[in-house]
Amino acid sequence: MPATVALAVARYRPEEEPAPTLQTYEVPFREDWVVLDALNYIKDRLDGSLSFRWSCRMGVCGSCGMKVNGTPVLTCAAFLSEHLPGPIRVEPLDYFPVVRDLVVDLSDFMRKLKKVKPWILREEEKPLAEGEYRQTPDQLDAYKQFSMCINCMLCYSACPIYGLEPSFIGPAAIALAQRYNMDSRDQGARERLEILSGYDGIWQCTFVGECTKVCPKNVDPAGAIQQYKLTSAVHWLKTLLPWGAR
Amino acid sequence: MAVEYETHEHDVIVIGAGGAGLRAAIEAAAQGVSVGLVCKSLLGKAHTVMAEGGIAAALGNVWPEDNWQVHFRDTMRGGKMLNNWRMAQLHAQEAPERVLELERWGALFDRTKDGLILQRDFGGHRYARLAHVGDRTGLEMIRTLQYHAIHQGIDVYMECKVERLLRDGERIRGAFGYWRNTGAFVLFKAKAVVLATGGIGKIYEITSNSWEYTGDGHAAALWAGADLIDMEFVQFHPTGMVWPPSVRGIVVTEGVRGDGGTLRNNQGERFMFRYVPEFFKAETADNEAEADRWYEDKRNNRITPDLLPRDEVARAINAEVKAGRGSPHGGVFLDIGTRRPPDYIKKRLPSMYHQFKELAGVDITKETMEVGPTCHYVMGGVRVDADTTQSTVPGLFAAGEVAGGLHGSNRLGGNSLSDLLVFGRRAGLYAALYAKDLGGRVVVDTAQVEAIARELLEPFTRPWNENPYAIQAELQETMQDLVRIIRTESELRHALRKIDGLKDRAKKVRVEGGRTYNPGWHTALDLRSLLTVAECVTLAAIERKESRGGHTRDDYPKTEAEWGKENVVVRQKNGTIQIAREPLPEMPAELRRLFEEKK
Repeated sequence: MPATVALAVARYRPEEEPAPTLQTYEVPFREDWVVLDALNYIKDRLDGSLSFRWSCRMGVCGSCGMKVNGTPVLTCAAFLSEHLPGPIRVEPLDYFPVVRDLVVDLSDFMRKLKKVKPWILREEEKPLAEGEYRQTPDQLDAYKQFSMCINCMLCYSACPIYGLEPSFIGPAAIALAQRYNMDSRDQGARERLEILSGYDGIWQCTFVGECTKVCPKNVDPAGAIQQYKLTSAVHWLKTLLPWGAR
Repeated sequence: MAVEYETHEHDVIVIGAGGAGLRAAIEAAAQGVSVGLVCKSLLGKAHTVMAEGGIAAALGNVWPEDNWQVHFRDTMRGGKMLNNWRMAQLHAQEAPERVLELERWGALFDRTKDGLILQRDFGGHRYARLAHVGDRTGLEMIRTLQYHAIHQGIDVYMECKVERLLRDGERIRGAFGYWRNTGAFVLFKAKAVVLATGGIGKIYEITSNSWEYTGDGHAAALWAGADLIDMEFVQFHPTGMVWPPSVRGIVVTEGVRGDGGTLRNNQGERFMFRYVPEFFKAETADNEAEADRWYEDKRNNRITPDLLPRDEVARAINAEVKAGRGSPHGGVFLDIGTRRPPDYIKKRLPSMYHQFKELAGVDITKETMEVGPTCHYVMGGVRVDADTTQSTVPGLFAAGEVAGGLHGSNRLGGNSLSDLLVFGRRAGLYAALYAKDLGGRVVVDTAQVEAIARELLEPFTRPWNENPYAIQAELQETMQDLVRIIRTESELRHALRKIDGLKDRAKKVRVEGGRTYNPGWHTALDLRSLLTVAECVTLAAIERKESRGGHTRDDYPKTEAEWGKENVVVRQKNGTIQIAREPLPEMPAELRRLFEEKK
């Protein structure tokens, strides 16, 4: 094993330079270090001005997504040892505007999130005193997988469609919509139909499947999109029926 | 020279968007006032997201015997009776309704066979009480609250750090801070401010807390004239990962023990049976067979000592390691692999399974984990009125970890998420009512604002060259070495001198570059609150000359009845931090009876 490893890190200081550049740092190599450990080493010891987001170190907050050697990953789960001999290239996620260095602007996703109405929609609410809505194991299984999303944005960065068509609502948002559509407590599927089946919705997706490959939580957004395409097609067929089977 | 800043005005400003802040904002908005939610990281990334085990609430879904009185009693006993009794009562009474409400808003919970919310065992709780989803309950809770808040259309100021609270002679008037992205200054004018900024764990080297936990709210409240209480009580979670070093401190959920895991030393002994204190003896199993039966039959068996409150378990592990019976990397062993089938472990504890597999190369269904204490939570915080959560400064409210009182000298696992919901809601409600009652416009002293802004910019132009990261690292070492699980006066005094030295050096910090997302500058500004809360913890620890809960003194090892009637209060007067001892509110007779019956 080497004593050190080189990291080629994307730097961009908008107040000083017109475009991002790569800067190389030599950090100690340790078997148990992930890329995030190396970035923190750089920030604390070598260059205090390096900017990146991180928080939990345990793969649940979804803050530290970056591209490592070209692939979107959570840097808290990307071991240096898997990327030897280096230099290991660390860059901000694709398709989002760069604020500085490895920090990207996620406001586009925040807006899209709201559009899919990720909350329970019901015609009537029973009073709290009557207790919870009951859910069977099968009912939980129908949406549990889609609820694991940590909003890390790896799937957007991996999605070539989003790269070409920024208005595409995108993998995580669609999976989230499906999380609520499939929840037995929810009655809002019709309200979400317009955005999901609309111009920027599921039909943009050509089923590349990269979103599912990079997802660190096995949410399977591509599966959610396929599942919804079927729902949407059935709904559309029904609208053609003369006897109003809707 | 005038300093530039943008201005926003709301009836209520909520600072912090974890569970408490989100719940407060939701409630205030529901009262029809204008609400601004300000958070240091991106929405949905706050520390609550890391909570694993569950939300404690006496729903009685698994054990119908459970009710708020039992939960209240467990909470008070877990806190060694130093809790604010009224907060503990409200918490136990209202937690079930808050959980049901969360379920209404879409939270996913694991369920019983009948489809009810499932509840799991946790330390110090008489019955299986924690509503949960696997071991990622915090993620589900924050998502549900986050989306509910978005639905309400609350104004969110993301990656915006509040540096100071603004007040006049009488009351709170708002807050001042900066955008982390651009470095531009922001003034929030507000009639009421809710602090929901979480904890202080980053003053320690080994901690489960994320970078955000720099004590901002504790410090800002103190500087604004609010009282802090119980700052000597810091919780070390007994089971943090100890290996490999890069993940040291990350929590291994108490759910592992709740679901059947047991602690062992390097002799293979289940050592917790030797560490049952007098206080819990009557209610704790004294042999392995009874402890193991308890998981299935709580009516006829006493709780396993593996699930004693966290302070007891952390001290026991500390003692085992010191006696040479620890694991290779300075912890002890946590074993669930020999006690439960692999499928059960993977279903109940999926995140733990992956965490150990991926980060430590350990398969917990086959191998034991190595665990040891890690700084996890501060029981102390802003002194609040139990019902309204208002601090001693009119218009300043506090909820969640930044508030003190509910947990006394030690918090039970699961009581944090329920705290966030119960008192988050109360803070939002009473802040909104306060704002509605307060007439007139909010006027802020612009000279005060400009002076703060100039002070915040000082690190760019100082003639010295101190490195902010180096100072933070030295503070963490100091606290880790000298303000430990086991404390003594000489070490605490030594720590105080070191903190003083670091305070001087912090005034000489210099940072390079511009204001756009500049992490060096951010850390330079965090130092002020880090050093302030470290000083508060140390001073309070010197003052309390007894051992209780999360405060153990080698030189005063006994729990003293007299100290059980007093809080240590920290407040700032004329720029210096002062310490006082003040009486605890007295519990009414009808509640006191709950503790006498079972003797």
